[in-house]
Amino acid sequence: MKQFESLTGKNLSRRQLLAGSALLGGGLLATSLTGCGGSAGAAAVPTINFWHLLSGGDGTKMQAMIANANNGNPGFKVHPTVLAWGAPYYTKLAMASAGGRPPEVAIMHASRVPGYAPGGLIEPWDLKLLAENGITPENFAPRIWEKSQQDGKVFSLALDSHPFIMFYNTDIAGKAGLLESNGQLGEVSTPAEFKAMALEMQKVTKSHGLSFGYLNLGSQMWRLFYTLYKQHGAEIVLTPGQPMQADRDAAVESLEFMATLFDDTIAAKGNDINTGIAEFVRGDSGMLFSGGWELPTMKKAKLPVDALTIPTLYGTPASYADSHSFVLPRQLAVDEEKRKDAYKFVSDILKGSLSWAEAGHIPAYQPVVQSQAYKELTPQVHYANAADIISYDPDAWFSGSGSDWQNYFAEYIQNVLLGRSKAADGWDGFVARTNDLLSRPNPV
Amino acid sequence: MSSSTVSRQTRQARTTPAPGLKPGPSLRTSRNNVSGWAFAAPFLVFFLVFLVWPILYGFYMSLTGKSLTGANDALIGFANYSEAFADAGMWRSLGNTVYFTVISTVPLVVVALVMAALLNIGLPAQWLWRLSYFAPFLLASTVVSLFFVWMYNPQLGLINDFLSKFGIPKVGWLNDPNVAMWSIVIATLWWTVGFNFLLYLAAMQNIPVQHYEAASLDGAGAWRQFFSITLPQLTPTTVMIVLLQILASLKVFDQIYQMTSGGPGGSTRPVVQYIFETGFTGYRLGYSAAISYIFFGLIVVVSALQFVITRRRSA
Amino acid sequence: MANTTLTRSIPRSDSGQAIRQPRKKLSAGKIAAVVVAAVLAVLWLVPFAWATVTAFKSEADASASKVSWFPPSGFTFDAFVNVFQAGNIPLWTWNSLYTSAAITLITLVISAFIAYALSRIEFKGKKVLMIAIIASIIVPPPVLMIPLFYQMLAFKMIDTPWAIILPQVIHPAMVFVLKRFFDQIPHELEEAAVMDGASRLRIFMQIILPLSRPILAAVAIFVFIGAWNNFLWPFISTNDDSLLTLPVGLQTIKSAYGVQYAQNMASALLAALPLIVVFLFFQRQIIKGISTTGLAGT
Repeated sequence: MKQFESLTGKNLSRRQLLAGSALLGGGLLATSLTGCGGSAGAAAVPTINFWHLLSGGDGTKMQAMIANANNGNPGFKVHPTVLAWGAPYYTKLAMASAGGRPPEVAIMHASRVPGYAPGGLIEPWDLKLLAENGITPENFAPRIWEKSQQDGKVFSLALDSHPFIMFYNTDIAGKAGLLESNGQLGEVSTPAEFKAMALEMQKVTKSHGLSFGYLNLGSQMWRLFYTLYKQHGAEIVLTPGQPMQADRDAAVESLEFMATLFDDTIAAKGNDINTGIAEFVRGDSGMLFSGGWELPTMKKAKLPVDALTIPTLYGTPASYADSHSFVLPRQLAVDEEKRKDAYKFVSDILKGSLSWAEAGHIPAYQPVVQSQAYKELTPQVHYANAADIISYDPDAWFSGSGSDWQNYFAEYIQNVLLGRSKAADGWDGFVARTNDLLSRPNPV
Repeated sequence: MSSSTVSRQTRQARTTPAPGLKPGPSLRTSRNNVSGWAFAAPFLVFFLVFLVWPILYGFYMSLTGKSLTGANDALIGFANYSEAFADAGMWRSLGNTVYFTVISTVPLVVVALVMAALLNIGLPAQWLWRLSYFAPFLLASTVVSLFFVWMYNPQLGLINDFLSKFGIPKVGWLNDPNVAMWSIVIATLWWTVGFNFLLYLAAMQNIPVQHYEAASLDGAGAWRQFFSITLPQLTPTTVMIVLLQILASLKVFDQIYQMTSGGPGGSTRPVVQYIFETGFTGYRLGYSAAISYIFFGLIVVVSALQFVITRRRSA
Repeated sequence: MANTTLTRSIPRSDSGQAIRQPRKKLSAGKIAAVVVAAVLAVLWLVPFAWATVTAFKSEADASASKVSWFPPSGFTFDAFVNVFQAGNIPLWTWNSLYTSAAITLITLVISAFIAYALSRIEFKGKKVLMIAIIASIIVPPPVLMIPLFYQMLAFKMIDTPWAIILPQVIHPAMVFVLKRFFDQIPHELEEAAVMDGASRLRIFMQIILPLSRPILAAVAIFVFIGAWNNFLWPFISTNDDSLLTLPVGLQTIKSAYGVQYAQNMASALLAALPLIVVFLFFQRQIIKGISTTGLAGT
């Protein structure tokens, strides 16, 4: 009996050994691969993983800025990972933070911070360590610095503010006789004046006066709506457990105005965002409502283009905007060295954000904005005033850029813009949906 | 090899245990108990840790307000369930899942049957047909989605370009709420029909040739033979394929998430994506666990149906 | 012997039996069948062909508004070169390979052991165990994603390879596929060994397993394909781009330079290639494997 047992024991252990070694080999290889972050040739220097959601024009700029930072810091190597903008990015960032092995540093829209900071998914910045790297609160515009804080702690460090603005084709505007002596578009201050201006441009293009694509894109509808709504001097307040506070008249008036734009003369009835941009780039319209970040697209197309903040049509200057900000996702075990490197990396990027301005964003780091080099950037300086009038999304765990809340907005408002339902009905539906969200347990 | 033959052999084997291994004296029995559980142990460890425990714990979670951020662990009874039953978003996504299941199951079974029947006629170069019909099944969902998003592209896509040659205007395959789910079904059909096709092919080739010989002596043509012999002989296979297909379709997530992420306007969002979004995008793990269990209930009902039907068949 | 008929019947019938069927006189019908089959085959190959053509185009040709099978500036390897230089695809392929291999290996080992116990050993609690495992077949993986994620958080395994591997090794249906096969192996073969006083383990390793190679291969194929292509669970359990499997990486990680159609298709083809190549080599075994295990459920 015994000899058989020992025999079989040997058999078993051989098999276990096989299975075990295969696993072990896999595990070892995996950990070694994690160690070098998947990038080739990074030998001994620590890898700083950095997540962002920028692709296209500003993504290219960001890659260049990262390469610069890497060249200037032989002590570490930043490995960027790009995820799809919006829900996919924010979902994965939250999951990675909850899991405790997230990237050392990540980009987050300032409007999303209220959904992450209170739950402990991101950690506050250490002001002392920032100061050591030459970054102080005085480097930021007051509105932006205020937005970076939650409960008195700094959770996000703004790289920029990126407002929703109005591009216009200077050729078309010139032919329509709309340019002032300084070469810029004249001021309009009422909805009627704006429409008249758009119609003048339409006469030149023979197609449309204005381009704005929004189909199936809540964030895009929200950007324009919130700009116009805030121009009424109105607020939206979201408090969990209470109904949403908003100015219904201002909202309905804004939506009704938006709906009248899409009459196939002033603007196409229903375009998606890319079609809208393409139309403007082709010269089939004189103006485009868009994020400043589309500037590289215009430059690439060599379009004669200038830009302004969206005209103040309802009395109060306001411009929807958000800020790409740096955050520190919660780590299971903080590597102090890597964290120091992350501070250095972020401060280098902030100080070098002049090239970020080339992507159409307004740098948040004031020394850059006040530099002569920035003042020579056109059309960027023409809408730099947006930094003083920007309106971030109302604070809530569910609001912000690329949030579900913006998708809900689309569900009720798209049909308003397409002329299929009344502005008041669409707004009431959205308010009811929001109140439903507010009535649910707050998971943060 | 059809499952019925396998199980028949199983039953035979079980009724005639080998004399040498018959449970004998009590020593034998206790040794059997030890070795039985020892053999079962490795599987059981995984089974308990990664299947049984999550099922139980998931149910417990559904009774709490657990959040991804760690906030709010409190037991709240069945509040999540009552909230879910009143949640229009859940019902809509559940409806989408059922809709997808209904409109995908029929083509996935019928086209598979047609493919198998065509091959079974005895076309030359069998491997070539099998390869072309079955190859997509070997692809990851992501690859399939990349292929189809590209072909469905409204401006640059192959399909709209082809249709434009016949003067058909551009279709927003994945952008039009009325079309998107059908586009997903077409991609799914392309992707997974090969699996059902293989099962049908194997079953057809198990039909005894004598059946056909007798029929052709009676002068029955190919069509008659197909409907009077092939189809009836395939009934057990068809029942199994339909039931497996329904269960598989109810779990749909990958290709929809990848191609439309549930859009446009939530028109394709399946319930699994709703669970994912509620739990991970919206942080509410407890609530999404509750929706998981409601979805589980649906699956159990369908599975019970499958069990009853297969039982009745084998009885 | 039962097992030989089980394993041989399929390859023999797929070429032999089919042709023997008396359909010769309906040659017109047969031509129609060939035409229909060919149309279907073309439809089924078009996505591959279009992806391949796109992958060999320059980025400018790929995004040109005029659709062309023969791009104006000719075919190029640029997209593949760029994809390789980005470095993710080889890494993800490796991740997919070793996680799928580990899943397959563990699944085979633990499933074969318990299947043997269920097939051959009479032990206390066996009935209950069987019922529990049968019942678990109906548990759909998506239902487990929330509690499993939470469990992995507690184990501190999120963003480790273990999170991908460990929860994927339980295949109750495969346990029964193996058990059914073991049931068919005649007991006589073991009796001699029992007479010699061989232990269970030795009988299992030296008699049962060698006889079960075909079914083990079938199960391995089924499990491997499933693990290789699985999306939902690896997508939930890993975020770090150096750990992602191919399907998850392709979906999650975007290019900083915007959407690039040729590179997208090149990546998709590279991701598709390994299993397609394996299939070309082992077509018979894979088809047999799917046909034997397929109806057992997933």
